[in-house]
Amino acid sequence: MKIENSIAQMKKGVLEMCILAIISEEQVYPSDIIQKLRMADLIVVEGTLYPILTRLKNNGLLEYHWKESNAGPPRKYFTITETGKEALKTLSSSWIQFVQSVNQSLQIKSNHE
Amino acid sequence: MNKIQHINVGGYPFSINEDAYYKLDQYLVRLNNHFSHSDGAKEIMEDIEGRIAELFKEYMQGGSIVNMDHVNKMIQVMGTPENLGTEEEGETSSGYSEAYYRTGKRMFRDPYDKKISGVCSGLAHYFGIEDPTWVRVAFVFFGMWGFGILLYIALIFILPEAVTAADRLAMKGKTINIQNIAEKVEEEIAEMTEHFHEWRDKWKRKKKKF
Repeated sequence: MKIENSIAQMKKGVLEMCILAIISEEQVYPSDIIQKLRMADLIVVEGTLYPILTRLKNNGLLEYHWKESNAGPPRKYFTITETGKEALKTLSSSWIQFVQSVNQSLQIKSNHE
Repeated sequence: MNKIQHINVGGYPFSINEDAYYKLDQYLVRLNNHFSHSDGAKEIMEDIEGRIAELFKEYMQGGSIVNMDHVNKMIQVMGTPENLGTEEEGETSSGYSEAYYRTGKRMFRDPYDKKISGVCSGLAHYFGIEDPTWVRVAFVFFGMWGFGILLYIALIFILPEAVTAADRLAMKGKTINIQNIAEKVEEEIAEMTEHFHEWRDKWKRKKKKF
């Protein structure tokens, strides 16, 4: 379906920003990120997250370090870098603008109806 | 009774039932294909394997063998390549994955249907001609001017032989995916057994004559 695709595209667009925001609060382990994203209905399966984390890390927005875990193999814990913080700032300010202008255009339409 | 395999997932050893092993193996191959064109594919797969190991440990809770339920549960959490495609790529996903799987038709020599080296039947597959005899006739016809013979000899060296199941699917312009390859392999094994029976019968008949 086309509509489902559009919704998926919207979610995809904000996903990186949300991940950066979650990591900026505290250092986290991927499955913690997933839980938060799931609650926000932004992600369904875990496999989606790993490529994004790798990409953000390779672009220097995130860092990770290994921590031993008693539940299994050592885990990667992610923290945000200075570049990441800058990127998040830019992203979130343009998001706020974006939401405002989108809401405005939606408002105009509904007034005409 | 169920046979058990020993595997290493994300650096951790597991015992796994054979049926669950095949499911897991297939799943990992498909994921690997899915990510193979992403940046840092190796790292992504390592992260995923690590997470799978963790999930298995969590599910087993003191049990010692990974079974089908565990694998199914894990796949639901991690997501199949199809789920990932729709979540990650959105609308581009369908075209994207198809482009990846469909490597397109390629020219090969067909070692299973040959008179000399399989050039003609390979060409016939490529151009969608059902009976390679027509291609052979054409070659013999043009061969009378000498050009055909040269071309034929050149093609023997230029065209690779379709050896693997994936080659043979590409030769016929069919999509390449695991199911397809599995079908192809089964088909070829059946064909081989048939040839073997034929050959054995022939041999028996010859023996009787003496």
